Amino acid sequence: MAKKKKKTEPAPEAKVGVYVCHCGGNISDAVEVDQVCQHARRVPGVVVARDNMFLCSDPCQEMIIEDLKSGLVDRVVVASCSPSLHEATFRRALARAGANPYVYEHANLREQVSWVHHGAAATEKASRLVAAAAAKARLLRPLESIRVEVQRQAVVIGGGVAGLKAALELGERGLAVVLVEKSPFLGGQVAQLQRLAPFGETAAEVISELTGAVLKHPAITVHTCAEVEDFAGYIGNFKIKVVRQSPAGAVYADRLARLSRSGRGLGEYVPFVGVMPAAIPEGREEFDLEAGAIVLATGFRPYQPRAGEYGYRDFPEVVTLPELIRQLAAAEGAGDTLVLNGRLIRQAALIHCVGSRQIPGVHAENEGGYLNEYCSRTCCSATLYAANQIREQYPKTRIFDFYRDIRTYGRGQEELYTEAARNGTLFFRFEAGEEPQVSRNPHRTSNPLLVKVRDVLTFGEELEVPVDLVVLAVGQEPNDIAHLVENLKIPVGADRFLQEVHPKLRPVEVSVAGILLAGTCQAPFDVGETCAAAGAAAVKAAAILTRGYVELDPFVAEVDLSRCVGTGACVEACLAEGALALVNLEVEGQMVRRAQVNPALCLGCGACVAVCPENAINVQGWTLKQYEAMVDMIVSDEYLEERAEG
Amino acid sequence: MGVQQNLKFDALVLGGGIAGLEAALNLAEQDFSVAVVEKDASIGGKMIRLSKVFPTLDCSSCITTPKMAAAAHHPKVTLLTYCELQSLERRGDELVALITQKPRYVDLEKCIGCRQCEYQCPVLVPDAEQGGLAARKAIYIPFSNAIPQKALIDPENCILCGRCEKVCPTQAVDFFQKVEDFTLTAATAVIATGFEMMPLEDKVQYGQGQIPDVITALQMERLLAPHGPYNRVLRPYDGKEPDSVAFIQCAGSRDQSMGVPYCSRVCCMYAIKQAMLLSGSLPLADLTVYYLDIRAFGKGYEQFFQNAQAMGVNFVKGKVAYVEPGEGGAVRLRYESQEAEGGVQVVEHDLVVLSLGLLPGWTPGASCALSTGADNFIKTVKPKLAPALTELSGVFVAGAASGPKDIVDSIVEAGAAAMEACRYLAARGFKAAG
Amino acid sequence: MEAEKYAGKILILATETCAYPGADAVGQGHQSYPANTYLLRVKDPVLFPEKFYLDCFAKGVAGIIIMSCGVESPYPGSYEALARRIDRVYPLMKAKGLDIRRLRLTAICTVCTRAFVNEVRQMHDLVSELGPPGRE
Ligand SMILES: Cc1cc2nc3c(=O)[nH]c(=O)nc-3n(C[C@H](O)[C@H](O)[C@H](O)COP(=O)(O)OP(=O)(O)OC[C@H]3O[C@@H](n4cnc5c(N)ncnc54)[C@H](O)[C@@H]3O)c2cc1C
Repeated sequence: MAKKKKKTEPAPEAKVGVYVCHCGGNISDAVEVDQVCQHARRVPGVVVARDNMFLCSDPCQEMIIEDLKSGLVDRVVVASCSPSLHEATFRRALARAGANPYVYEHANLREQVSWVHHGAAATEKASRLVAAAAAKARLLRPLESIRVEVQRQAVVIGGGVAGLKAALELGERGLAVVLVEKSPFLGGQVAQLQRLAPFGETAAEVISELTGAVLKHPAITVHTCAEVEDFAGYIGNFKIKVVRQSPAGAVYADRLARLSRSGRGLGEYVPFVGVMPAAIPEGREEFDLEAGAIVLATGFRPYQPRAGEYGYRDFPEVVTLPELIRQLAAAEGAGDTLVLNGRLIRQAALIHCVGSRQIPGVHAENEGGYLNEYCSRTCCSATLYAANQIREQYPKTRIFDFYRDIRTYGRGQEELYTEAARNGTLFFRFEAGEEPQVSRNPHRTSNPLLVKVRDVLTFGEELEVPVDLVVLAVGQEPNDIAHLVENLKIPVGADRFLQEVHPKLRPVEVSVAGILLAGTCQAPFDVGETCAAAGAAAVKAAAILTRGYVELDPFVAEVDLSRCVGTGACVEACLAEGALALVNLEVEGQMVRRAQVNPALCLGCGACVAVCPENAINVQGWTLKQYEAMVDMIVSDEYLEERAEG
Repeated sequence: MGVQQNLKFDALVLGGGIAGLEAALNLAEQDFSVAVVEKDASIGGKMIRLSKVFPTLDCSSCITTPKMAAAAHHPKVTLLTYCELQSLERRGDELVALITQKPRYVDLEKCIGCRQCEYQCPVLVPDAEQGGLAARKAIYIPFSNAIPQKALIDPENCILCGRCEKVCPTQAVDFFQKVEDFTLTAATAVIATGFEMMPLEDKVQYGQGQIPDVITALQMERLLAPHGPYNRVLRPYDGKEPDSVAFIQCAGSRDQSMGVPYCSRVCCMYAIKQAMLLSGSLPLADLTVYYLDIRAFGKGYEQFFQNAQAMGVNFVKGKVAYVEPGEGGAVRLRYESQEAEGGVQVVEHDLVVLSLGLLPGWTPGASCALSTGADNFIKTVKPKLAPALTELSGVFVAGAASGPKDIVDSIVEAGAAAMEACRYLAARGFKAAG
Repeated sequence: MEAEKYAGKILILATETCAYPGADAVGQGHQSYPANTYLLRVKDPVLFPEKFYLDCFAKGVAGIIIMSCGVESPYPGSYEALARRIDRVYPLMKAKGLDIRRLRLTAICTVCTRAFVNEVRQMHDLVSELGPPGRE
């Protein structure tokens, strides 16, 4: 992709015009503008130096445009206020004159000279900065912004709410979308729920609405039982190999059985299953997809407690929250007391933060040798929602809630907490490291389990609560997508979730341009937050896809093939995966190894520039030669000294 | 000011905070034309006024200014600052907004942001942008990184001495500028009007703003900012470095008696952040956070909280009921402890920061057919599947306008709202003018 | 200029996203600082090879302050690479008899006005004390 022109020597024809602004006294009160112009005229390459009261005014812009059009100048230096205010203004003026906007250099004489210095020193500094800018301008080349053609199709990986929502948004925007889902079902983890906290929408309505729209959308293709096998390319031009086959083993046996018991057909929602849009394929099928952008929506899985953690697996009366939700859906009877699997639940304990907020040195590592230090965000509300549901339907079932902090932060969530307090749910607060102990109840009461806790709310009293059921509010963990992560070369955080470029400003982008994150593959979220993230990912994908091309700044690395000897030092120093590579090229009839830049991936930081022993690679518009020329001017006194002028 | 009779855009974004700017840029990136209508004299919202942001501790200005500049320079984005929305209604396919341009008494086109007027102005007024802890002039550029970098006159305090008019190199000062109304039509709108902090003046429990060393969290943001009022953290009472600083959480949130039953969602994290920053600037000070529940729920937030504990910030479980002046500028707190022996405790600190609750930045009232939830924030009709959807077709909401929210959640929602708006435009045959 | 005292030229390499706007903010606040300072806007100082710094000193630049974005660099990993490079420049400076304090790596944010002025003042005082490069 590197162009083969020599670009090291100053163009002999460079005719630099220097324009110095008074800024209505802001500059000229501290800087002798005439003197700066006089000095500038003695700088090599400068053909004209003019000053004006307000360079940014229309007539002055016209003056510069005239000088360009008449051929008097072909490089422009404006010395005025900070470039943050007017660099763009003057680049546009160059474009209006039919010139290349990049043969422009800005000297900052207001914020960085006249407002901070005074007297002769201010003028001298201004002259030196203008001379430096002129020296750089002389070496500037016209640049074109980089245009990368884009495949106008998005691939969405994952068919939970995030993937479905992202696909739908893009489809509705008029873009082609292919959704790839590993399991035979759409709906992800939401299909394992009943009602959603805090407002009580049903999982059935949420998923049916999404799948209904997605499956009938002409622009969206859905592949279930499909996985990404291989991946190549870059923003605008990704190539993805997908394998579609019958899932190995019996992972989905339970859900398939539920589906057949339900008597429902393809495309219909089945509780605790989801929607199966198509039959499971018989053989193995492979196909390639092209995409301009990729949305990752691979979701989460609930934390699975270790055997023995709070008595899990040791006692059948200890269940996780997702397990409780299923059992509640199947609970029969309309009495005042909850009955689960034929057992009367008179007292139930809910324990928060299971598998979340684990602290190094306080909590034991999980089986994989890690700790989940993060808060899972959704469990407090989900737990309180379940508590309120039980209290409302089965007023004789008493609820004991064991928590560290109640995190009902979102709209409608604090109300769940207030409601729980009102309906008689009893709260116990424990400190990290002093988790409640679950054991068999040694006392001969009818409650099989005993929960012991040191309760902060009663100033550290040791309490024992006999219960019939213990519910563990388990957190969210990322799904195992090691294969995908490796293939796509996307970063994973210390918390094992996928990592965004900037946790505040660019939350749905990853360091690989063109790949976007939607939902809980990034961090724990609830359904509303997941759909917002999916919308945000979709809008970024749409920005890439709608125009059919993306335009990138021309300030990227460029290899000078007349100098490159293929040391590979630049490739090693490169900070952007895939932006630089050694390739075989034919140079003067011989096959040689040379560096090649992929401008679509290059960030333009210049890490490569510093390490090239031949100075054969440079960032366009910011070359080392240009900087050297600037330093030469800053240290030179030649143009400052009076000379007899001819 | 030119006469702006009727402006026409594809989309209107109401509010130029981080949510509004992100929504506008997302729309513009798909080549739709966008007007951002902002009531303040600068865009940037609350974020540009913060010191550093949790959990990354990036300098807030450093990550906000590039967004502000991107919006200011984007050919598809028009910024209309110092504008007040009078009404917004749907007329057939169009949304029609009636907007008032408040007079700056400075010609936007002519002003070059040189601040000569500011230097000459003889009037000093408490600077709200610095939490009232420093002074500004009666003609002023709102703050150092404001966009646009243009002056305005505060007519309440201007003494009409005319010095600014004389010194202005571009004759931009115009004492006769008038309020101007104009209409703006758009096919779709995003409401991003953000939040305001609950006023301290009507909080008897917290001294109604009369105790000098009881400050709001936003004032603490200014004290911590590198370009803040004192350039360091000093307490307002006597300009001394505080030896002990307390944060009162849920000061006015989660409290029906204060009229705000909901959780304000960002206060735990900003208090932790401020305590961490203080432990850097006042390494010897005792830092205490009085709280009910620490709600560190976002990505990386819990770890941030744990770090603060490891750094020695004290977290005390207890609800502060009352704050009163103590000896020599100290502040006395009465709180009901959940720890040790419990009961009502009385303690003194040199400086107290109130983590006041968040209220809506704008309520539509009669100006438009949007309604609000019980919390007074803009009502959303499909919080799960389409969190940006409002009752009014084609009008979407993002950021703290639909309930307290931190920056990252605001940005994500702004993306979602912009996507809904793009989709809405596409469905109505709007082609982005490429 | 303060004529008597030696005021060797100080080069400041300022990142366009952090320190350059930081220097603008100093200007907006009219906080003055020594004028023997020449600020060049850079995308990222990781661009400069070891030789660049040595050449600058050879050309007579008395001090260089690299004002980076620190770990908030928009190019992940660049600050670390830069810091490693500067560590390699120091022995080369020593070998040429240059006081290594003439080269300083810092991080300056968009509103770090006080830090900016402090850095400049310190370098100014240092180069006045040391005199022209190579004569220490
Ligand atoms: C003390 C404090 C510290 C914080 N610290 C952090 C932190 O470290 N990290 C973090 O993530 N979050 C922090 N936050 C939260 C952060 O401020 C918000 O997340 C963010 O500002 C929300 O952005 P927004 O655009 O939705 O609202 P805002 O920032 O409030 O912006 C709304 C904009 O709309 C304008 N507007 C309002 N009404 C109208 C109208 N009728 N017409 C036109 N314009 C209108 C306003 O003037 C404003 O410019 C903090 C909050 C506080 C109070």
